[in-house]
Amino acid sequence: MENFELLMGGFATALTPMHITLMIVGVLLGLIVGVLPGLGAPNGVSLLIPLTFTMDPVSAIILLASMYWGALFGGSTTSILFNIPGEPSSVATTFDGYPMARSGQSTRALTLAFMSAGIGAFVGIVVITLLSTWAARFALRFGAAEYFAVYFLAFCAFVGMGSASPIKTAVSLSLGLLLSTVGMDTVTGSLRLTFGIEALLSGVSFLVVVIGLFGIGELLATVQDGLKFRGVASRIDPRDVFKTMLELPKYFTTIVRSSAVGIWMGITPGGPTAASFMSYGLARQWSKPGEKFGTGRPEGIVAPETADHSAGTCAMLPMLALGVPSSATAAVMMGGLMIWGLTPGPMLFTTQPDFVWGLIASMYISNFVGVILVLLTVPFFAALLRIPFSIIGPMIVAICFVGAYTVANSTSDLWLVLIFGVVGFVFNKLEFPLAPLVLAMVLGSKAESSFHQSMIASDGSLGIFFSNYLVGSIMTVALALLIIPQSLKFIKYLRSHKNVDAAA
Amino acid sequence: MRIKRLHVEIVTAITLAAVGALGATGALELGVSWSESGPMPGYFPFYVGIILIVAAFASAAQAIFRLKMGSEEMRETFLEPEQTRRVLSFLLPMIVFVIVTVFLGTYIGTALYLFYVAWRNGGYKPWIAILIGVVFSIALYFVFEKAFQVPLHKGPIEEMLGIY
Repeated sequence: MENFELLMGGFATALTPMHITLMIVGVLLGLIVGVLPGLGAPNGVSLLIPLTFTMDPVSAIILLASMYWGALFGGSTTSILFNIPGEPSSVATTFDGYPMARSGQSTRALTLAFMSAGIGAFVGIVVITLLSTWAARFALRFGAAEYFAVYFLAFCAFVGMGSASPIKTAVSLSLGLLLSTVGMDTVTGSLRLTFGIEALLSGVSFLVVVIGLFGIGELLATVQDGLKFRGVASRIDPRDVFKTMLELPKYFTTIVRSSAVGIWMGITPGGPTAASFMSYGLARQWSKPGEKFGTGRPEGIVAPETADHSAGTCAMLPMLALGVPSSATAAVMMGGLMIWGLTPGPMLFTTQPDFVWGLIASMYISNFVGVILVLLTVPFFAALLRIPFSIIGPMIVAICFVGAYTVANSTSDLWLVLIFGVVGFVFNKLEFPLAPLVLAMVLGSKAESSFHQSMIASDGSLGIFFSNYLVGSIMTVALALLIIPQSLKFIKYLRSHKNVDAAA
Repeated sequence: MRIKRLHVEIVTAITLAAVGALGATGALELGVSWSESGPMPGYFPFYVGIILIVAAFASAAQAIFRLKMGSEEMRETFLEPEQTRRVLSFLLPMIVFVIVTVFLGTYIGTALYLFYVAWRNGGYKPWIAILIGVVFSIALYFVFEKAFQVPLHKGPIEEMLGIY
């Protein structure tokens, strides 16, 4: 019950007029960002971070987190009304959401999506509330070697469990790690890999990279296919909203299963995108006979949305308790934490309880606020997409560049955004995953310094990573995640080949 | 000749390997071995650079392997002429926007950029396009400089007008 008291303390922090205003502003900004192409959650949060430098950390994190929830809701709105996923994690929602909206039931589709998203988020936050103290206490036993093992585990999990090709994931990870070493070395204080370029002395900011990769890169990808927004009517009928809410208990098993998927994928570095796809797939496999999936089946909306939001909220748990974010947006927020002078990880719970529990309490409130706000404002935000792209596109571009400039007041960052915009576009087309790159950039220096410290402690022997049960088992799990999925694939490949040969 | 996906895969892999090589050679100068106080500053970037080189070549090899296995995907055109036209018509003004912004400041750059795209790509009447650009620039000024007190990059013209 200790957590309950702490949570009440958190509510006291979060329920001030100032913080509630910030939540509303955050959710609304998030909705804009989620609805507009080219502005996703990771890069929206990146754009907002420079504006929070002067705020106190609790208010800042409440604003950023609320924006994240808003972006998740906004992403589903465009998926359903326009068949355009505003966020990668809402791609699965288009499969059944858009057909249902097209058949004249857009209110039902939207309500199903928002309500199940709200429930998913709620379940995720309950999990965080229950587990966070325990996780942080567990993590207090971690030394440098254990930390390195956890970072290594996060990297391996991306390679082994990610949806992209393992080789390409490894490319993204190592590119991110390499970029993180540019500039001042935190351990020895020497300048590295600056090649005499003055602009590189302070390093490559991950915020600038995120804005380029996710902002400009995604816009270029949108432009390439030409823009045809064929939206369906976005009027919300209050009677339909209530009717749909009464319908929800019917999908109880779907919701429970999807939340479980979301929680698992959120805590491990699978992330919301993988969670929503997996949950959609499971719903299709386990569904009772009825209309086909892909034609507007309610479970096809409920499943991905619940998983998406429970994964999105659960991604905050490893970030807060261990300092290991499991999604791109959580990685950006964690970078923000470090900029505000906070060290994510178990010590945060003892040194900054107001911050941690204020954030957790705000997650309850802002997700509730989010569901209501999104139902009220959907017609307005849907109208944003009816603005011609030749007007809204350049505005998004301008905001991206302005945001990148405000990170460090440096015009050389504008060139970096341009370069990483093109990189993001090419990576997108060639299916290199972007999230591992961001994660590696944020974790790079921490991974390096924990490696450095463990090496000093062990006099340069890698044996330290297997020196006790804790670090040894984390390392073993990490290596297993790296090797087992690949070898399974290889065996399957060999088998199928043999069969072909036998048939021939 | 049309650029196929395979070509882009290979060029990207070579570029990434070159970045890795650049990192690794840069790290060599810092020392990549062990000193009394543990690994030298170049140790970590050196090995990360090596991993990047290996992974980049592996991704090129994978692309060639998939072509050999009869993957149609690798034979696909990377960008159709129409797509190239669309991407360039968006990207080129953006590059000019960055150059103008660096020299003339954010506000002038943004106003000109919005004006140009609305006028040329959007087909709006010039005066409407100018209005869009100017109004958005002024909005930026109030949001960033006034509401959030975050100064944006300014050029000679703002200085002339006395806007700081």
